[in-house]
Amino acid sequence: MLALEPGHTPGKRVQRRGCRWLQREHTPGALTLEAHHTLEALELDLCLEVGASECLALAGPSGAGKSTVLRIAAGLAEPKRGRVICAGEVWLDSERGISMPPDRRRVGFLFQDYALFPNLSAWRNVAYGMDGVARAQRRERAVALLERFGIGARADARVPTLSGGERQRVALARALARRPRALLLDEPLSALDTRTRASASRELGILLREARVPAILITHDFEEAALLSDRVAVIDAGKVVQTGTAAELGAAPESAFVADFTGAVILAGEAHSCADGLTEIALDGGGTVRSTGVAGGGVASGGGTSGGGASGRVAVTVHPWEISVEPAGAAGEGSAQNRLTVTVASVSPVGNRVRVGLLAPQPLVAELTDAAARRLELAPGAVVVAAWKATATRLVVR
Amino acid sequence: MGVVALLLAGCGEDNPGDGGGKPRLTVAAATSLTDAFEEYGTRFDAATARFSFAGSDELAAQIRRGVKPDVYAAADTTLPRQLFEAGLVKKPVTFARNRLVIAVAAGSGGISSIEDLGNRGVKLALGAASVPVGEYAREVIAHLPDAEGEAILANVRSNEPNVAGVLGKLTLGAADAGFLYITDVSAVRDEVRTIELPKDLQPSVDYGAAVVVGAEQPQAAREFIDGLLDGRGFDALQQAGFEPPRK
Amino acid sequence: MSGGRLFRALLWGALAVALVFLALPLVAIFVEGGPGELLASLGEPGALDALRLSLQATTVALVVIVAVGTPAAWLLATRSFRGRAIAITLVELPLVVPPAVAGIGLLATLGPAGLLGGAIAATGLELVFETAGVVVALTFVASPFYIRQALAAFGALDPALIEASRTLGASEARTFARIAVPNALPGLVAGGALAWGRALGEFGATLVFAGSLSGVTQTAPLAIYERFSDDFTGALALSAVLVAVSAAILLGVKLASGARVLGDARA
Repeated sequence: MLALEPGHTPGKRVQRRGCRWLQREHTPGALTLEAHHTLEALELDLCLEVGASECLALAGPSGAGKSTVLRIAAGLAEPKRGRVICAGEVWLDSERGISMPPDRRRVGFLFQDYALFPNLSAWRNVAYGMDGVARAQRRERAVALLERFGIGARADARVPTLSGGERQRVALARALARRPRALLLDEPLSALDTRTRASASRELGILLREARVPAILITHDFEEAALLSDRVAVIDAGKVVQTGTAAELGAAPESAFVADFTGAVILAGEAHSCADGLTEIALDGGGTVRSTGVAGGGVASGGGTSGGGASGRVAVTVHPWEISVEPAGAAGEGSAQNRLTVTVASVSPVGNRVRVGLLAPQPLVAELTDAAARRLELAPGAVVVAAWKATATRLVVR
Repeated sequence: MGVVALLLAGCGEDNPGDGGGKPRLTVAAATSLTDAFEEYGTRFDAATARFSFAGSDELAAQIRRGVKPDVYAAADTTLPRQLFEAGLVKKPVTFARNRLVIAVAAGSGGISSIEDLGNRGVKLALGAASVPVGEYAREVIAHLPDAEGEAILANVRSNEPNVAGVLGKLTLGAADAGFLYITDVSAVRDEVRTIELPKDLQPSVDYGAAVVVGAEQPQAAREFIDGLLDGRGFDALQQAGFEPPRK
Repeated sequence: MSGGRLFRALLWGALAVALVFLALPLVAIFVEGGPGELLASLGEPGALDALRLSLQATTVALVVIVAVGTPAAWLLATRSFRGRAIAITLVELPLVVPPAVAGIGLLATLGPAGLLGGAIAATGLELVFETAGVVVALTFVASPFYIRQALAAFGALDPALIEASRTLGASEARTFARIAVPNALPGLVAGGALAWGRALGEFGATLVFAGSLSGVTQTAPLAIYERFSDDFTGALALSAVLVAVSAAILLGVKLASGARVLGDARA
């Protein structure tokens, strides 16, 4: 579990300056990282704890500092102030002047472009980090590891001849060959084509569960995070914005980025409080929606003490699966308060669902079952009504 | 290198001179004539003299390959005569005399005579066999008793292309001694000391000059050489330590 | 489009001029003397000595340059430190210093009367007038050629490779030897060829610092210079050999690195 300051409930923001809560005894086998550093444009100020067999996904916009976190954990970068402790071993403690070089920390680092050594064959790449193994046995072990990844036949191949998927597997095998104490994966699937990615994702998931070491995984893909990780930490501008399970983030995103990351729809508009305590938002481009107001995190400026009302510029989020599509002119007798007349822009089958792109004129996405989509005869250009509940409408800071 | 300089000099000789004034005169002269000729050049009115100083043999080789300076002045009379016989220069004129001496580097004690040059551990710098200063030196050594001569030759550590090379080795402390002209050492009295050769060993060091066949400025060339025998050139030579030519 | 054709014509014209200008003098060397005469003059003792000396001295110089220059270039390529720019400028300085000036500088430092002259004499080492001095002069003038190339080659390496090696437990030394050098090898070899070529042709610094004595310090370029005055055929013959050897080195390096590239692709 993610370490929290006592008194707070999971899912809520737990970021406190100084990371005092890291002072206490930490969970055995866990990886804790604390970093305070100012790079050129970025001020890094965060604490993370990853449990002994846990996989933490790090997500965030470009330049947020995700790669830096990974590099600090590996010893490839050193923060001005910080600590990194893994399985009880102090890898970095700026206060005590301890800084273990990367070759002494047993990390398994997967680089975004794999960084396979072009001058070595596949098995030699895998065997590169096998210090504890006798020379005679290295090839055998390396080939066995590659077999486990399904590419034992390519053991003697030179790196330039390997396909993208093969390289990814060699890189993983290489990272694991040393029996690392922590796994650091920098977008392990982003360089793969869509087809390979699906199977690679499954394999990686199994691997992470078997490895039983703390793992940090950088990803841009919420579904990937949901599939592979136990918890997700969203970083923006060097600070952790929200942590929690993928489901928690999806249910209650605390910022527009988190919402966007989880696949929510985002609409921009001007809000003002209503007498009944709800907030009414006039969407840019037309249409009005109502919201029960805040859900965790801050709200736009203004906002009185009455209820959760807010005013000013806001962003409104709702999830595609919370939006129903009704034929134009339908009576709208259900509990859904928010109804917008929209035009269908696209209809894309995804698995056993259909993602319908709508224009309000701001873009929306609704997810329906295949059957429902066919029943409504949805096609680009059709005019329909998108409806959802005010309670499912969240306000976020942009 | 002198080759490049002379070739470039040869190229740009279509126009008469700088600023449309005096013509340009190209003089190829032995390195030992550097000080004397440069002084003469500042006082030479008929043309603006440009000099290329190198070993006399190197300059002769260039002339044989078709390079055409206006004047050729060598540290011996043999080279000009050979070029004359080959039809490359006009009849040479002997214009000065020089003296070969032993030059000893400042830090090298223990050398006070020519025999000392054969002592163990002495490092000598000589001119190469084909350059006049080297020929004269070898002539002198050849006149010594065999054992002495061999000992001296065994101490030769470098065959320099011209007197500047020999002098450089001495002033920079690399070599202990060498054979040079008296005119070379007069300017560096505090770094190099001189030992005169015994009269019977002194070779005839006669300098010859000639107008090159096909020169661009034969008139000015003639005047330049005439001035060496009687005039500003003669004065400059005297000043530099040369003696008048044998009658 | 006549504009496009004109431009292309200019490009080819420029290449033709460059090729003729660079190649003709070298061709002339081979054409001037008859092959019989050239071969005969090569048989003369001084000539073979000069060639042997050139090859020996340049090889030793190259070994020193690579041994010292490779780690130095690695340091410069991977660390940023105060004075790095100055260090690189100093290393490149011999490139712009006239060779004779380099010789004078070496004499002023390592000559018997030089800054370190006393210390060197104390060790019993003799440089001036000795073959060792030739090696010193060659090393001095040729090292920037190697170090610059090596610096560029190391600089061009993907930093992720170095980092990956470190995360896999390799010390910096092991990373240098097993990942950096092998992957930078084409650049290093090219630099070595350039340095060797430069050393082979070195004249001014050798003459001033080490002197010119057949069999001891008279390298091929010095021998050519001496022969120029009274034995032009001999000069031509030696020049021809020097050009042939240099061309062979250059060609050899090109083929070796080309083969390597092809080899990787075919494997």
